[in-house]
Amino acid sequence: MNRFCSIFLFSFLSAAVSLRAQEPFIFTPQWTAQAQFAGYYVAQEMGFYAEEGVSVQIVHPSASQTAMERIRTDQSQATTLQLAQALEIVDSGIPLVNVLQTSMNNGMVIVSRREKDPLTQRGARVGIWNAGFGQLAICMSQREHLDYAWTPFINSVNLFVSGAMDATLAMSYNEYYQLLQTGMDLKESYVYRFSEHGYNVQEDGVYMTLKSYRAHREQAERFARASRRGWEWAFEHPEETLDIVMKIVENQHIATNRILQKLMLEEVLRLQVDRDSQQREFRLREDMVTLASSLMTECGMLKENIPYQDLLPR
Amino acid sequence: MKGFLHRFRTSLSTRLSLGVVLFAALIFITAFGYMFIVSRKAVEREAVERATQILNNTVLRVNDILDDAQIAADNVDWLVYRHLDNPDMMYELARNVLLNNPEVRGCSISFEPGYFPEKGRYFSAYAYRDGRSVLTTQEGSDLYQYFYMDWYQLPKLLNQPCWTEPYMDADYEEKTGEMFTSYCKPLTGDDGSFIGSLSVDLSLSWLSETINSVMPYPNSYNIMIGRGGSYLVYPDTTKLLNTTIFTETLAVPDSEISALGHDMLRGDEGIRKMFRNGEEWYVFYQPIKATGWSVGIVCPRSEIFSSLDRLQHIVMTIIIIGLLLMLLVCSRVVSSELKPLGELVRQTDEISAGCFDAPLPQTERVDEIGQLTRSFSHMQTSLVNYIDELTRTTANKERIEGELRIAREIQMAMVPRVFPPFPERKDIDLYALMTPAKEVGGDLYDYFLLRNTLYFCIGDVSGKGIPGSLVMAVVRNLSRVVARQDLAPAQIACQINDTVSAENEQMMFVTMIIGKIHLDTGRMEFCNCGHNPPVVFKEGEARFMDIKANVPLGIAPGFEFEGEEIADVREQPILFYTDGLNEAENAAHEQFGDDRILEVLRSAPFVSAQDSIKRINVALDAFVDGAEASDDLTMLCLEIKRNKTES
Repeated sequence: MNRFCSIFLFSFLSAAVSLRAQEPFIFTPQWTAQAQFAGYYVAQEMGFYAEEGVSVQIVHPSASQTAMERIRTDQSQATTLQLAQALEIVDSGIPLVNVLQTSMNNGMVIVSRREKDPLTQRGARVGIWNAGFGQLAICMSQREHLDYAWTPFINSVNLFVSGAMDATLAMSYNEYYQLLQTGMDLKESYVYRFSEHGYNVQEDGVYMTLKSYRAHREQAERFARASRRGWEWAFEHPEETLDIVMKIVENQHIATNRILQKLMLEEVLRLQVDRDSQQREFRLREDMVTLASSLMTECGMLKENIPYQDLLPR
Repeated sequence: MKGFLHRFRTSLSTRLSLGVVLFAALIFITAFGYMFIVSRKAVEREAVERATQILNNTVLRVNDILDDAQIAADNVDWLVYRHLDNPDMMYELARNVLLNNPEVRGCSISFEPGYFPEKGRYFSAYAYRDGRSVLTTQEGSDLYQYFYMDWYQLPKLLNQPCWTEPYMDADYEEKTGEMFTSYCKPLTGDDGSFIGSLSVDLSLSWLSETINSVMPYPNSYNIMIGRGGSYLVYPDTTKLLNTTIFTETLAVPDSEISALGHDMLRGDEGIRKMFRNGEEWYVFYQPIKATGWSVGIVCPRSEIFSSLDRLQHIVMTIIIIGLLLMLLVCSRVVSSELKPLGELVRQTDEISAGCFDAPLPQTERVDEIGQLTRSFSHMQTSLVNYIDELTRTTANKERIEGELRIAREIQMAMVPRVFPPFPERKDIDLYALMTPAKEVGGDLYDYFLLRNTLYFCIGDVSGKGIPGSLVMAVVRNLSRVVARQDLAPAQIACQINDTVSAENEQMMFVTMIIGKIHLDTGRMEFCNCGHNPPVVFKEGEARFMDIKANVPLGIAPGFEFEGEEIADVREQPILFYTDGLNEAENAAHEQFGDDRILEVLRSAPFVSAQDSIKRINVALDAFVDGAEASDDLTMLCLEIKRNKTES
């Protein structure tokens, strides 16, 4: 079924990198190509990985192979995960190591189509990513006794726009702008931002299984350094970064456009600035790990609290 | 510009011509403006009708094709319900949909997880085309959990048949893609619960071709947007499905595009105007209600109104050229018609420069210009005559004024004007001043010594000017002749009165005081003939003398004047004056009055006759403050001093 490929909008391979004699370090972002991963594309395109002496291949997930599947099967050495996702995976018995933390803030929102405050919509039909990015939203729904009826979706906002759902989860850098792009008038009172309600838990970070990390420690550290440099360059050169991103998304036939990617890049870079220090810190915050762990434990998503140290390289 | 403004201000022909042309322009603009507005509405109406017709046809064609998919789904769903006990039959049913409907590219009959326990968690019977063959497969798996797909979830959540948003089925290796949409129907169990979804896939490769088959204008183009605003048909095919009508408004807010997008998403039908890239565009749009899509035709305004604009440019050019020609011709005609006026202006300048006999242009015209020229000629003649008359009158006036000047000198020579009058007589202090209101006056005074007696008189003839001066001359001569007969003042008055009264047809009269002072004794005899009482300084005090009035000379022939005498007036200065002093008026018509005379004289001790008169004169000048004198003014002041041996 040809449709199979298109609906997922997953692609198969990213730009090939020049392989060195050494075994390539394969990095798989958790989603299809987009500005959310701009720093890694920049590091690859600008030769930062090569300068660090690490041969990196960026392989996006596909319909038949999710990013986590590739990690589990050692086909990729590193992937990006949200902190809550990582905790869930660790809780399932797969030890992970955070080798680079890019996000310093939470970008998840709930958008209501009924022109109501999402917090007043008890029992509402709310869209959630089938890929599993909604842990904090499920916690919130339980804690606030909202009892949302979660409706999984793949990666589009069509169900919400078609009126099949009362509200939907969205990333402030992605689906939120997709919804704006459909002409929806998203007044702030209809938008619930988790970061503003005590759920400001970091999101994207680069994770490796503990086993893989121990086997590729040197490469991982070089990858992390070069990736951080890529993000810093992206911040300083947003237009050039967008050029790189658009080249990749066009190669991979991603249905997007430059304006959406520009807005995504700006928001992702904004989320990388720590609220307290106003700096781009690239570190996992212990307090946020503790917060996410206790929330998820309270909601029954984790069997027990996972300490901050369990995510650190060791 | 400055030159034009000057010409506009100074040239009647320019103003007249411009006025006519501007008025004509106003009429033209109003008439043609109205015509163009009406025409524009007609053209716009025609464009709307044309676009509406095209859109109607387009929507009909799209609906026809969409209907095929809906009919295909409707024709098979009852069979699905009939064969729910045989899941494998679903492959055959899906296959038959494709075999019976060549435009359908795929069909899936999918069920809720575990609906058929013998089939496991996933059961989705899917038929698709592979070249000319129709193949079937079970597409559900852990990697393709179909029940999260839009085509499955939409009918489930909406609980009604619906169309999915179009999606791109891409072949990445071949780098090709084809746009699809699916018509989905919910399948429900006996209890009404959702058990699965029937989906019919339709390729939209025909969509652009169908919609773009008719273009109303050479540079117009068509668009179609989905429920989420995505472009389904657009000239730039790279934007299909990945860009919406609102995308650019995220970067640069654009209320026109946003309004158009919302109209189209609402399913409205209409027309909108908008400016893009410096040009006005018209967008005609109409919904495809079955899918919630909207189709639009975008036309450049310049093409819709091209013929009208061309006509408008031609007409405007003709009007502008016509108005310029009209301005030129009008200016020439008016200038030619007004040319005599220019001649008149030049002649007027010459006349005003003093050349009164400058020749005027001859004209045979009978219109206003001709009448004006003739009237001007008459006026010139009258002016020349008037100027001649004026010249003569002026010459006469100058002659009379010259004669009057001589008469004044003669009159002034009649009264003694050398002061002190008797330098050898230290006992006489006398000073007099006469100021006629005109060149010559009717006042008089006189004095002379006859042996040791000082005769004096002061008088005021009724009337001023030449008549008064003639009477004054007569009276002055009479008084001097009669006085020399050594008569008493009353007798002198009687003789003068009789003489003046005789043949006094003009009924002129003279007020007068005639007196004589015996210098050795200081005795003063005098006779008042209706004159103002004099002021006497006595014992350091100035006061009016209480004297008999009698009557003025010349009005009562034979009147017996009564004289008076004062035993000794020595060291008692006396001021005689005419009514030109006390009746002198300022600009407010207030008179100087008797009280002011006394006030002035009392303001300082008597020093001399001349000093007293000068002080009064200064006070009088200050009082009248430049007001024209209405009467002659004469003052005479005298003081007889005792001999030192007597004192």
